Amino acid sequence: MTMPSARSKGSLPLQINQGSATHRSLQGLGLAVLVGLAFMGSMTNSFQVGLLTQALIYASAIAGLNLVTGYTGMLSIGHSAFFGIGAYTTGILVSEHNWNPLLTFIVSFLICFVFGLIVGLPALRIRGINLALVTLALAVAFPELIDRFPGLTGGTLGLNVNLTQLLPPHWTGIGIQNRFEYYYWIAAVVLALVLVLCSNLTRGRTGLAMRATRDRETAATAVGINLAWIKVYTFGISAAITGVAGSAFAMYLGSLSADSSFTLILSITLITGLVIGGVATVVGPIVGGLAVIYIPHWTEGLRQGQTEGLFFGTILIILMFVMPDGLMGLLKRMSRFVVQIKPRAPEGPSAASEELLVGSDLNANPDSEGKGDTTLALS
Amino acid sequence: MQVFLEYLFAGISNGAIYAALALAIVMVFRGTGTINFAQGEMALFTTYIAWGLTTKNVPVVLCLLVATAAGFVLGAVTERVFIRPIERKSLLATLIVLLGLFLALNSLDGILWGNQNYTMPSLFPNSVSSFVSVGGARLYWANLGLWIVVAVLVGAMFQLFNHTRLGLHMRATASNRESAALSGIPVGRILMLGWGFSAAVGAIAGILFTPLSPDALGLGEMFPILIQASAAALFGGLDSPGGAVAAGLLMGIVEALLSGYVPAIGGQLQEAIAFVAIVLVLLVRPQGLFGSKEVERV
Amino acid sequence: MSLLEITDLRGGYGPSMVLHGISLTVNEGEIVVVLGANGAGKTTTMRAIAGLISRKGAISLDGLSIIGMNPDKVVGAGISLVPQGRGTFAKLSVEDNLLVGAAKRRDRAGIKEDLERWYEVFPRLAERKKQPAGTLSGGEQQMLAIARALMNRPRLLLCDEPSLGLAPIVVREVFSLLTRINAEQTMAMLIVEQNAELALEIASRAYLLEVGNVVSEGTAASLRNSDAVRRAYLGY
Ligand SMILES: Nc1ncnc2c1ncn2[C@@H]1O[C@H](COP(=O)(O)OP(=O)(O)OP(=O)(O)O)[C@@H](O)[C@H]1O
Ligand SMILES: [Mg+2]
Repeated sequence: MTMPSARSKGSLPLQINQGSATHRSLQGLGLAVLVGLAFMGSMTNSFQVGLLTQALIYASAIAGLNLVTGYTGMLSIGHSAFFGIGAYTTGILVSEHNWNPLLTFIVSFLICFVFGLIVGLPALRIRGINLALVTLALAVAFPELIDRFPGLTGGTLGLNVNLTQLLPPHWTGIGIQNRFEYYYWIAAVVLALVLVLCSNLTRGRTGLAMRATRDRETAATAVGINLAWIKVYTFGISAAITGVAGSAFAMYLGSLSADSSFTLILSITLITGLVIGGVATVVGPIVGGLAVIYIPHWTEGLRQGQTEGLFFGTILIILMFVMPDGLMGLLKRMSRFVVQIKPRAPEGPSAASEELLVGSDLNANPDSEGKGDTTLALS
Repeated sequence: MQVFLEYLFAGISNGAIYAALALAIVMVFRGTGTINFAQGEMALFTTYIAWGLTTKNVPVVLCLLVATAAGFVLGAVTERVFIRPIERKSLLATLIVLLGLFLALNSLDGILWGNQNYTMPSLFPNSVSSFVSVGGARLYWANLGLWIVVAVLVGAMFQLFNHTRLGLHMRATASNRESAALSGIPVGRILMLGWGFSAAVGAIAGILFTPLSPDALGLGEMFPILIQASAAALFGGLDSPGGAVAAGLLMGIVEALLSGYVPAIGGQLQEAIAFVAIVLVLLVRPQGLFGSKEVERV
Repeated sequence: MSLLEITDLRGGYGPSMVLHGISLTVNEGEIVVVLGANGAGKTTTMRAIAGLISRKGAISLDGLSIIGMNPDKVVGAGISLVPQGRGTFAKLSVEDNLLVGAAKRRDRAGIKEDLERWYEVFPRLAERKKQPAGTLSGGEQQMLAIARALMNRPRLLLCDEPSLGLAPIVVREVFSLLTRINAEQTMAMLIVEQNAELALEIASRAYLLEVGNVVSEGTAASLRNSDAVRRAYLGY
């Protein structure tokens, strides 16, 4: 579980102190590579740029879901609705009220935050499986609700935003024919901001409280944090992030139809991406976003309509068995053989405590276990 | 009066199906502590099997038996292969596997049977004239037959739970798995049986429900019913078979009357409304109407 | 040959080992007690015998190896465990709890007979037959747990801290019942107990466990007189 800590210098794994110059420069290098990749992505042909844009948007949405499901352990099957609410917020504000599309992102964030809080509220009393069902109902109801208010949303006909309202502004120097490049950069910037927000959130006290909510065992370490409200708050932030991803999606697509874009299937796709990339990791959502876009694309030759669902369903099951931490979890574990970052401060709930949980007992009934410490031999 | 009765009959039929599926959900929940998201898709899968057999001129009753057996095997195998190894890890992992199963089964149905809708032949006389008149309203044999079969099925399940040795062992396993093992109950086998029975009940529900209207056997047809049934199970209390059956019936009737008299509410919005109502109930009584306190799991 | 023979038993929870090679025996009709501080591994030993956790080494009942068996098979072989904390089926009635205890038996008449016998021995259970077990008092639940295990007609009864949480007078009652059952049914017993004084009184032999090892063993009398046991467990 834990690596032998005393190793001679020079041999693998390399020991690096957190916050040291080496660590900083490694981080810098990683960032530079990412930015470089982003630029390379923008220079591919417009079809590729489109795919990449979708992947980045999904990555943001998955990052939002990761907060609730990955870090806090509450399965949400309702994030398709938040994504949809964000998308429709942008769609309506731009097409009906002539807003600058980018400004609508902020509104989406706020609206979805409030919706997230409302959906998260039952979490104060309803837990686990019941909460999953409530979010499921949300996913099912959302397209139906959109269709019920055609005046506002365009109903089953969908909502089309005039292309001229979505064009890149002059200062970007991007012309009409390259407008997908503009959406690509928006998606990339949104994703970068989202990841920074998520990594900050999950690192500090809030992150500790989230994980404490997930693994009851470590709850003791979070004394003084109101775990109940953490759930609601996490739901809010998580929904807000996914909502902003929805806004970016609306810009990219320009036409919205709830029945095809924001159904339960989207929720399952987001969950699949999360699981492939790795729950409770910061970079996992990027991998997940790329996977859920590119896997169906690459396997297009094989599939005839339904095969994609069979494929993703099977992947979900297999991953939970053989790679429950996803690709990033796997990479993380393997990278430990090469580089170890020694934390500055004492770690929060560590991987070790999670593994203990896995190995724990089959019995869940409280009345049969451990009051063992109440009597003492010495009298 | 006549209109009311017709709404009522339709409501009882839907309610009977919700009740049967809610019972299936409760059976899995009591054993494993999770909701089987794939319950509806399992029922759909077995209904397709039955339909496939009817196209080969196999008598419907025989199709029902084969599909029920297939459902039983499907449920038992699912428990053994997909659930048992993952269940110890976490509830989240289990739910994700079940979502995967949901997706995979539905797509498999599509691959095997295509995505057009079919009409499932009924077990009972099902022509336009096969009805009895009750207070001026038409009560079709298909509906009446469905009520009777579901009533017998539910009765048999309660008999099994409460008056047989196997039922006692199932209840003991649901109450405390470790103590059950320590008393000599083969817990694994009991869980498999529970999932098997659950899926078999679902299979019967599917075969009874789909013939009620033409073209009702399709890829998207079972999921909304599962949603209603889980809402009913939540409402009645996830660990209470009696509560689930009562809530299922109630939900079917209320829904039929509401959408009959208040046409603005219909389609899937109904599900949303049902759920909102149930969430409100759960906020007051998290264990459901008839459930017991300890059901609430983290 | 002894009824229960354990040699070099090792086991634990996942990666963490708790038992580091326990050896002990219980003879036919004998009461043996296991003493040890909190966390010494007493419960773990019992769970390992019952098959609830993965274990290595050798365990045999009357010559039959039970090391690889699932819990229900161990019960079938003739070993019943009354777990620490009782583990009653809270929602089931008292009578149903007892019937579950007979899960491995097929003889209806014999089951009925035993039911009556244990109702006689534990009259308070008879009075509460139809009541959900969760509504019984702690002492009544302990008796129910013992009676449930007895319904299996075990050859060896394992009891994990039967006195836990009970009033002194009830503890005496439980222990005198155990002695009586041991004598009447010639049923061997392996009892884990914190109340060393009382346990050594009814046992013929005892083992002392420390961090997963047997550190001392002998007749009850000799352990009662050993300084280590006296200081740590008897308090004088
Ligand atoms: N489910 C478990 N998972 C991990 N470790 C456990 C588990 N149960 C017990 N342990 C550990 O095993 C060791 C022995 O525990 P055990 O319950 O056998 O002690 P005991 O002697 O019965 O103590 P007590 O007198 O308190 O009942 C302890 O260190 C305990 O922390
Ligand atoms: Mg103990």
